[in-house]
Parts: sequence; structure tokens; C-alpha cells
Amino acid sequence: MSGCPINIGAQVKRGSAELAILSVLADGPLHGYEISKRIERQTQGLLSFNLASLYPLLYRMEKRGWVKGNWEGPAGGRRRRYYRLGAAGKQRLVPLREEWGQLFRALNSLAGVSRA
Amino acid sequence: MPDWCEIAKQGLGPLPFEADREDEIILELAYHLEDLYSDAVRQGKSEAEAVQWALSAATDWDELRREIQLAANEEVSMNYRVKTLWLPGACTIALSGIVLRLLQIPSAPVPRVLWPWHSTELVIYWWWLLSLPVIGAIGAYWSRHAGGRFLERAVAVSLPALGMVCLPLLMFPFVLVYDLIRHHSFPLVPMAVLLLGWGVLPEAALLVGALPFFRRDASAEAG
Repeated sequence: MSGCPINIGAQVKRGSAELAILSVLADGPLHGYEISKRIERQTQGLLSFNLASLYPLLYRMEKRGWVKGNWEGPAGGRRRRYYRLGAAGKQRLVPLREEWGQLFRALNSLAGVSRA
Repeated sequence: MPDWCEIAKQGLGPLPFEADREDEIILELAYHLEDLYSDAVRQGKSEAEAVQWALSAATDWDELRREIQLAANEEVSMNYRVKTLWLPGACTIALSGIVLRLLQIPSAPVPRVLWPWHSTELVIYWWWLLSLPVIGAIGAYWSRHAGGRFLERAVAVSLPALGMVCLPLLMFPFVLVYDLIRHHSFPLVPMAVLLLGWGVLPEAALLVGALPFFRRDASAEAG
């Protein structure tokens, strides 16, 4: 079969990061730092973001309509850029979860890799 | 405490965005660094350690700048329906319209008038009909190339014929009422002739051209 070789590592990394961000935003709007802390806490530190991995991805997802960023904050107080799920992000989350579930099941049957 | 905005600004360097957008990005990154710093201080780190901790989140500013630029330049993927249905459909409509218009110039071949029936004539632009398989093939190929399924290909190919019959069909109830009142008759024959000449025959011609691209899809899926 011909075609461009797929960088599986990069694809998996980006795909898992997108799922992580969409999943935490499904609970409500968060700003960038909260997103990274929430993901880190919920994965017991297994997934973590730095600036270079978080913000470019958020900007990409925003461009696709998956998330929406808005500057919000108390009057006279610090305004932060809060991200919330966009309509396209809500639609994307369900199949993304299903795809990752299938991937884990496939890996499990292939190599005994379990979600735990 | 360091000036995090200045650090982010120096680190990123000039970005190819409008000033407002650039300021927003710098501010967002600066707040992130400041949060890291504040958390580290709260956890008991010294100021110097906290600064180092915060800065460790952005070790490679060049990469960050490059990634931000790539994200900004990334083309938003066109909606699936636009790619597989509306663009090929617009192409088939445009080509069909152009050919038909060219055949209406005075020196073009005259349309053949068939089946005169109670003052209703079936006007056939033969050259237009003969061009439709080619146009259908182009539309079906485009849609398939863009990843369209059978339904998108079929609709994209059929749009010129659908467009031709949509208006008459929409007008049909009004024409019916008008003719009933005025002539006490049903205009069924003219409508049927209209549908045949501008709907059924063009649709068949378009589908004939598109058929190989439907077939190839079926064989590929089976294989």
C-alpha cells in the first residue's frame, strides 16, 4: 500500500491531548492553567502539558470550533481567557471517546495492554 | 516577582499577528507562568526556585513560537458536505449553465422540438444533453476524490437537473389553481413535458456519465 508514512507517535500524542482537553472542558469552562492542572490531577500526573504543548493545541482546537475562548473575569479584577466546549467539540467528544476505547480494546487483545 | 509579560514577550519575539492578538497570547502565557510561580511559592519553594519552576514550563520558546504560528496558519478543514457535495454540485450546475447558455446564441445549433401536443412542445437541446454525461462524470469524480459517499456523489451530479425542475414544481400548485380558474383544465401534460425535458432526460444523462464513478466505488468497497 502506498501513501505517506504516518507519525503514529505524534498522532497518538495529539489525539490523546485533544481528548483530555475536551473531556475536562465537558465539565465546564476553564482557563489554560486550570486545564493543565485538572488534567495532571485527574491522571495522577501521567499526562502533563507545558506551554508549547498546551496553547498551540488550544488555538488549533479553537480554530476548528471545538473550543471557544473568551476573556472573562470580575469587573476590575484579573480577566482570564476561559475555554469552553464549542458545538463541534461536543460533537467530536463522543466519537473520540469511542475511538480511544476501541484503540485500548484492540491493544488489550493484541498485547495485553489494559486501561488500568 | 519577575515581569512575566516581559518574559513571555522576550521569549516569543515578534509574532506575525495583529497587535491585539499578539498581546492576548503574551498575556495568556504570562498568566500561566505566574500561576506556576504562585503555586510553587505556596508549596514552600523559595522565590528563585519558584521562578525556575515556572520557567521550566517554557524551555524552548522557539518551538512555542513555531507551534503557535503553525496553529494560526493551519487551514480549517472544509466541512465534509462542502467538499463532497456543494463544491462538486456547484461545478456541475455552472458547467451545465454555461453549455446551455452557449447553445442559446444565434449561431448555435437550434434545439429540436419534439412531440407537439396540444400546443405543448418538448424542446430538446441535444448538444446540451450530450454534454451532460461529461459534466456528470466531472461532478462524480470530484465528489469521490473529496471522499464523498454514493449519496453525496449522486446529489452533486443531480443538482443541475434538480435545479431545473425545482422552480416549475414549486410553481405547480399556483399554475394548477390559475389554470383551473381560468381555463377549467389541469395543465398536467405541459408539466409532464416540462419535467421530462428539463428533469428526467438531463438527470439520466448526468447519471450515465457518473455511473463509472459509482461502480468503481462499489468494487473498491467490495475489495
